[in-house]
Amino acid sequence: MTAVETPVATPPAPQPAGRAGFRLETVSEWTKLRSIRSTWICLAIIVVLSIGLSALVCFAQAKHWTVACGDRLTFDPVSASQIGALLSQFVVGVLGALVITSEYATGLIRTTFATVPRRTTVLGAKALVVSVVILVVSEITIFISFLVGQSVLTAMGGKVYPSAAAFEAKVAPFVGRHLSSCPTIPMSRLPIPVANFSTPGALRALILGGIYLTILTLVAVGFGVILRHTAGTISLFVGVLLILPLLIQLLPSNWSGPIAKYLPNGLGQAMTSPNGLNYDGNPLMSPWTALVILVIYVVVVLGVGATLLNRRDA
Amino acid sequence: MIKATNLSKSYGNNRAVDNLDFEVRDGVVTGFLGPNGSGKSTTMRLIMGLDHPTSGSVTLDGRRFHDLKWPLREVGALLEAKAVHPGRSARMHLLALAQTNAISKHRVDEVLELVGLTAVAHRRAGKFSLGMSQRLGIASALLGDPKTLLFDEPINGLDPEGILWVRNLLRSLADEGRTIFVSSHLMSEMAQTATDLVVIGRGHLIADTTVEQFIASNTEATVRVRAPEADKLSGILQAAGARIHPEPDGGLLVTNLDAPQIGDLAWANGVALHELSPQMASLEEVFMELTSDAVEYHGSTTAGAAQ
Ligand SMILES: Nc1ncnc2c1ncn2[C@@H]1O[C@H](COP(=O)(O)OP(=O)(O)OP(=O)(O)O)[C@@H](O)[C@H]1O
Ligand SMILES: [Mg+2]
Repeated sequence: MTAVETPVATPPAPQPAGRAGFRLETVSEWTKLRSIRSTWICLAIIVVLSIGLSALVCFAQAKHWTVACGDRLTFDPVSASQIGALLSQFVVGVLGALVITSEYATGLIRTTFATVPRRTTVLGAKALVVSVVILVVSEITIFISFLVGQSVLTAMGGKVYPSAAAFEAKVAPFVGRHLSSCPTIPMSRLPIPVANFSTPGALRALILGGIYLTILTLVAVGFGVILRHTAGTISLFVGVLLILPLLIQLLPSNWSGPIAKYLPNGLGQAMTSPNGLNYDGNPLMSPWTALVILVIYVVVVLGVGATLLNRRDA
Repeated sequence: MIKATNLSKSYGNNRAVDNLDFEVRDGVVTGFLGPNGSGKSTTMRLIMGLDHPTSGSVTLDGRRFHDLKWPLREVGALLEAKAVHPGRSARMHLLALAQTNAISKHRVDEVLELVGLTAVAHRRAGKFSLGMSQRLGIASALLGDPKTLLFDEPINGLDPEGILWVRNLLRSLADEGRTIFVSSHLMSEMAQTATDLVVIGRGHLIADTTVEQFIASNTEATVRVRAPEADKLSGILQAAGARIHPEPDGGLLVTNLDAPQIGDLAWANGVALHELSPQMASLEEVFMELTSDAVEYHGSTTAGAAQ
């Protein structure tokens, strides 16, 4: 290592107008996000996982169409092509958490606050940058997953029914029959339904899917600010999305049902269902109500985070 | 100028910084000395608005850090060398910092050159040695060409050439009229680099003075004497008010009398002297003694500001 003996004697330059605020901090956070490999790995996992799983699920559904008799009554081609995207909620959680906790792990957060002392501004810029990235990537991924999934279904012999009623009419003769006596109906007689953008609720479900993932990213950001540790933050995030619903299932069903639908994943289900029904065919909360509740959650989590951030030592 | 007023910080029951009052002037290097855990890093975090003071305040040219419009252009700080994302390159790290304060890419390359990291600017900072990390930290402090600079133990992990480089850098920055506040636990290092000194122990202010004054007022003059008739000489010197510490090799360490006085007394009493050499207690010893019990030494501080 050779130190270069150049003089630093640049006279203090006149300072520009304005201040080190939100706009510049956003530019900086974008530089930070794009300059580490883990960001690109997370995004690649989201894309590959979503599209790959969608294709796989649609393929499997169509493949077993003739035997999976009960499924015919509730099969939803939109949801089938979105299972991968929904699984990527854990990846967006990791990305959201790391935006905050990786800076705490190294002490970089103190350097950050030494460049922009207004901590809410820093949090806002971080949240904005990561959520825009997730929104763009997940919407693109979700639409590609949808198109790929529907293409797979079509290729396997599925067809677009003119309406839900048209499909129901085709299915009607079999409804109510005991599953064991379910006859084998080949794909040619009862093709698997395929969705397109004019399928009622499809477009809404796809768009809200990306928004759901974006809000979850922000929840992870908020958890990160509150806990400041990567492992703890990711555990909490997975706990809320995965473990909590399972624990709720242990409650008596007249309790678990109403509670479960207000959990983030329950709200996500309501937001991403094209037909307002869950996997068992039961009605869900309105997607817009679910969106509003989820937004309230994230505002609370980020609000608590921002308060702690300003109150605590960095 | 950095000015701390009744600055205190407690972590639970642990009073890390206790009622500090000091000023750091422009245009000189001010050393910030204290043993491990004495509260140097905490004080620096308080200056940078990172920790909230329990009481008191600290200002930079009269303004709180939080109120600075362009913090990086006004204050640069090296607080923790390893405070870099291990997966981000040195250049991208500096660029991200620069962007927050509207500092150009050109300046990023300039400071990389200045600290000698140009060749490794695109390598992941996690792979850097401690010395390279230290240089990157110095680069980030210099990024905004700020008037005030804080360095928390900047020579940690640097090779001798690096230490010399930092020493010269600090002096040249001070010569440009900047405020330079640099912590260390090495008194000898500060004696070579700093003009002013702020010394703390266990969170208390022990001295706020100049290096010169600090040495003069805290170093007790000791004279090393060697004489064939050591016992006789001891008696004579003690009668004249000296304190004698015999050395194992037969020499005497005399305090409270200076060399000419000892020489005159020996001459007057007909005692031959084989050695008469004034000793300076090493700065490191003084510093250690001074900080070993911060409270006991309060009375003898030059500043007398603490408590
Ligand atoms: N964030 C913190 N939480 C709790 N205690 C802390 C914190 N930071 C520092 N301390 C305590 O405050 C005291 C002063 O620590 P500080 O790091 O400021 O000392 P220092 O002078 O920088 O020491 P060193 O020379 O080892 O770097 C120590 O007792 C330390 O344990
Ligand atoms: Mg320290």
